Amino acid sequence: MSALAARGICKSFGRRQVLNGLDLDVASGELVAVVGENGTGKTTLLRILAGDLRPDAGSAVVGGRPGYCPQTVVLDEALTVDQNVRYFQAAYGIASTGRADELIERLGFAACRGQRAGTLSGGTKQKLSLTLALMHDPPVLLLDEPYQGFDWQTYLAFWDLTGELREKGTATVVISHLVFEHDRFDRICHLTGGRIEEEASSHATAV
Amino acid sequence: MRRQFETAIRLTLAAQVRNRFAWILLVAFVPVWYLLAGSMTGHTGAVFKLRATGATLTVDGHNLILVTAGLSAITLITGFVVFAAVRRSLPFDRRLVLSGYRPAALIAAKTNAALVQAVAIGAYAAVVLLFYWRPPGLWTVALAFMLGAATYAAFGLLIGVLVRGDLEGFFLIIMISLLDTFFQNPVDNPLANKPVLEFFPSYAPTQFAAAGAFHHQVLPGMIALSLAWTAALALLGLVVLRLRMPRPARVTGPERPRREAPVPGLPTPSTGNHHQTLTAAVAQASGGSGRNPGESGLPADQRVVPPPAARAG
Repeated sequence: MSALAARGICKSFGRRQVLNGLDLDVASGELVAVVGENGTGKTTLLRILAGDLRPDAGSAVVGGRPGYCPQTVVLDEALTVDQNVRYFQAAYGIASTGRADELIERLGFAACRGQRAGTLSGGTKQKLSLTLALMHDPPVLLLDEPYQGFDWQTYLAFWDLTGELREKGTATVVISHLVFEHDRFDRICHLTGGRIEEEASSHATAV
Repeated sequence: MRRQFETAIRLTLAAQVRNRFAWILLVAFVPVWYLLAGSMTGHTGAVFKLRATGATLTVDGHNLILVTAGLSAITLITGFVVFAAVRRSLPFDRRLVLSGYRPAALIAAKTNAALVQAVAIGAYAAVVLLFYWRPPGLWTVALAFMLGAATYAAFGLLIGVLVRGDLEGFFLIIMISLLDTFFQNPVDNPLANKPVLEFFPSYAPTQFAAAGAFHHQVLPGMIALSLAWTAALALLGLVVLRLRMPRPARVTGPERPRREAPVPGLPTPSTGNHHQTLTAAVAQASGGSGRNPGESGLPADQRVVPPPAARAG
């Protein structure tokens, strides 16, 4: 059964058609990369899947409340790390911030918890953004260029986390214009001409 | 809903308290504005028409200009503070709503936070006024300041959700506030006391303050008129804000669906060694040619993001 299914997604901006009848299925526990050149509609697709943008045609079905990490880091920069976490605790309606606490420790920015988000480095902001997307243990995870600005240790920690989520049955979609490590994904989907033109296993496209 | 509202109002106010530029404006701009306006105007008589009652008063021009200067300062500051807060939080609010925050809770919290700020700024400006002049009806001046601040908080909200750029918004707030409060003041404006001023947002607070400070009179109708301006502007702003928020479908199913038992003949997705798409695999296992367009393969109680046409229906 799919945790995420998109059918016939079309989206235009003015006269420019970005997505043209796109289909995508992601199963529980599957880790999928959507790759493509700049301007091919990767972020548009993820925004539609997250419910942030309406498609002109087609439908997207997502199992449960997805964890969504947008391309541009979106935080309340006047609030501290902990206050941002509390906001999302209320949004998700979860009783505890235990999972967020764990993620903050693992991603290595516990020392910044009392710091205003606006004063954090770019990489730490990205870590906080990822924490906010993951803290409710989502069944579907939508990540747009999630490891921008990460140092090497954090990059490895990110993949450890992703592996654990896959084991727990989280369906994960990672948007990237460059995918260096094909083996980490179950599938690489190429977005070209508004459709997923090629959908091969990681082993078929690994370099 | 209640928990979300309480969290949002607490954190909105916490963020506002950290607006350093607003603090600088409050601490430095308001007293300096009073000082400059007062020092440039002598204690000469000025004719002020209380249009609300029809009475024409001759008042101390120096004191009158302190009232209008106070209104001018707080309308600028409140408009700026709320505008800046709305602009800053628009993308964050979208993300919160996508994550399950109820727009009604966010909007209610932001409205209440803006009103709290308007009341605090109005009260502060009235207290600072005491260093320059103690009006007989101080509470009416304080209330007028709060009413004026509330109207411009609503203006800040409306402009914040309407304009594309920050600069345009700041310029609009400055121009509207300056023109509005300047025209109410008969000391340096030949157009003052004209009927057209009744249609300006700061007309009611100015009339209410002047009646209380110079005529020992309370004009409840002016409170109502000022609140009507605030309500109308805020309502417009809140409607636009709501329209600009995303409308994700409500999650009614389980947050995390149970992992299914493997279906015979279907590859397990997480093993990473299959070469079929799930769609093709489902079609293959069921012996069919695939799903019909629109069928998702998910349980009916999970989140669906339909296209606009489907939603309209």
